[in-house]
Amino acid sequence: MLRIDLSTQQRVWEPLEEQALHRFIGGIGLGTYLLYTSCPPGVEPFDPANPLIFVGSPLVGTRLTTSSKFAVLTKSPLTGCIGDSLSSSFMATELKKTGCDALILTGRSPFPCLLVINDDVVEFLDATPYLGLSTTATEHEIKAHLGHRTRVACIGPAGERLVRYASITNDGGRQAARTGPGAVMGSKNLKAIAVRGTRPVPVFDAKALHAIGTNLTQRSLGPATEKYRTLGTLANVAVFNRLGTLPTYNFQRSTFDEIEQVSGEALHQNHFVTNAHCANCTIGCEKILVTTDNGPKAQGRMEYESAFALGSLVGVANANTVIRASTLCDELGLDTISAGVTIAWAMECFEKGLLTLKDTGGLALRFGNEAALLACLQLIGERRGLGDLLAEGSRRASQRLGRGTEAWAMHVKGLEMPGYEPRSLKTMALGLAVSTRGACHNRSSSYEADFSSRVDRFQADVERGRLTMEGEDFSAVLDSLIWCKFLRKAFRDLYAESAAIYEHVTGWSMTAAELRQAGERINTLKKLFNIREGWRREDDTLPPRVLTETLPTGVAQGVGLTRADLDMMIQGYYSARGWTAEGLIPEQKLRELDVWDIVCTR
Amino acid sequence: MTLPCNMPSGTVNVQVELFSMARLVCGRSFLALDLPCDATLADMAHALVRACPALRGLAITTDGTGLLESYALNLNGRVFVTDTGVHLQQGDTLLLFSSQAGG
Repeated sequence: MLRIDLSTQQRVWEPLEEQALHRFIGGIGLGTYLLYTSCPPGVEPFDPANPLIFVGSPLVGTRLTTSSKFAVLTKSPLTGCIGDSLSSSFMATELKKTGCDALILTGRSPFPCLLVINDDVVEFLDATPYLGLSTTATEHEIKAHLGHRTRVACIGPAGERLVRYASITNDGGRQAARTGPGAVMGSKNLKAIAVRGTRPVPVFDAKALHAIGTNLTQRSLGPATEKYRTLGTLANVAVFNRLGTLPTYNFQRSTFDEIEQVSGEALHQNHFVTNAHCANCTIGCEKILVTTDNGPKAQGRMEYESAFALGSLVGVANANTVIRASTLCDELGLDTISAGVTIAWAMECFEKGLLTLKDTGGLALRFGNEAALLACLQLIGERRGLGDLLAEGSRRASQRLGRGTEAWAMHVKGLEMPGYEPRSLKTMALGLAVSTRGACHNRSSSYEADFSSRVDRFQADVERGRLTMEGEDFSAVLDSLIWCKFLRKAFRDLYAESAAIYEHVTGWSMTAAELRQAGERINTLKKLFNIREGWRREDDTLPPRVLTETLPTGVAQGVGLTRADLDMMIQGYYSARGWTAEGLIPEQKLRELDVWDIVCTR
Repeated sequence: MTLPCNMPSGTVNVQVELFSMARLVCGRSFLALDLPCDATLADMAHALVRACPALRGLAITTDGTGLLESYALNLNGRVFVTDTGVHLQQGDTLLLFSSQAGG
């Protein structure tokens, strides 16, 4: 572990506590432990004392498929809760090869800083030449300066201006974006981190690991990953629309009439350039798309969440504009979900007359106005004009504007909603409401139950609590080992197989049961962090629109979700977790999960 | 509106809406199939492969008797079809899409 105080340039290498590694594994799990123990209670997210933590995992550097990942944790400037995100590719492996499994940054550099880590040599260079540059240009310039084998994680203009949902970008467009870690990096006056590592990564039993890894690679190329290898997550667009679960016009509807123009199938046929892979990944889920009209050329990777947030949600049916908007977010360093959902909120405000042309600087901010969408993103990235308000996120922006606009600010705990309409996906609705990082589909993946024969997705029941809990614990193990979620169906038994792999990598004993419990422990510690930072029962909820309006179109026409049904599912979740009816965690549960000492001493 | 299964032959005509690579390899978004009223998954798989042979090995098993794990069938946007099949009515729509939800 490398601790760096950017204020003083003090750097300290420390061994990671073995007990922490056993209990929290790596990635999100270990990062949660480090955040809980390093972050002063009640600290403001932009305070220099708020740590920004980069964490690898036991599997990084092993060449196992999808293993080149790292976690980024901090106290989120968007939510005030735990801010945890994941990114991928070469940066993870390069950091590991320096001998650093966890990097904890505190303080604030007195000058714009490029932090360089070259094995165990740490330097603080002047980043002034890179200020204002896009993420792509920043990475390019730093590599030109330091060498092309250097790996770079940087912020764009949005992070420099502390846009609350700014991302950290690495390896040509991979993003740690949700919850705004880029803004915390910007608050530390840190423009970029450049890493070069040369040390070998030790593995306990390389021969056994190679055999398992080869088998896993074969499975990763089979039916379990077909969607990701072909259309990618963009395949969701048309399906979600047909199932009445595609958020449209700021969640006013769940179907989009012009869907065929921006479906994954259409994007693949008309705009696809190539697949791209993270380092050590055999799946290759990334789809590189390019614009084809006469406007400024834009080329970049696009996922479902960007397609919904910058497409149906804002009423835009022009695939070229959606691609342009997505790549603009990447260049500015913005979370596409939060950006799209916040703009959708603003569009609804404008259409209801609560934002005027004077407020918008002359932008006719209506649903479907493509030029306004692109202009808005630029304003957000620069925190200029209306962009300064929208850069705060939909929660703060609606609180600031008032006049009832909070009613259609589509967030949970301040984190904007992803592309899953909760009224027609009841298990997902619960997962969104209780997630520790806010409206997140990834930390529970509870939509999986809804897209199966196991449940009726239109009906709420108390059993969704157990399903959501199991999904969260499963996801926590994936996020801590770290496996890509797109690999999950390639496992016959994730816990058993991962325990064996863990033993081959580390030489430490691990059982499936211990891994399963680690997942529960990690989610519990996340919740403890939030409780310490001010979580209240009413924070586990969904936006007013979801609880008061029924869906007007498509197969889900007439479907809604009542407050009573949501509360019933939440109680089912608390009960499944062994928590109190108020969502608090009894001492007995803390002792059972071996986190009592952490709570008592910090 | 769906009509009861009262066709003399005991079959119904249903529409299959294709998504993802299934749509691209078949070159169209919709197929029309004649299926038994109480169609099993095997019945549907057989009919799909007859209508679009390119689905074999992509969405349908190579022996044509079932779905590959990578795909799911859904009835009218509401009910996921399991191995035991489902009762069909005239005018129903089956959706064929990737079973790997999310992203």
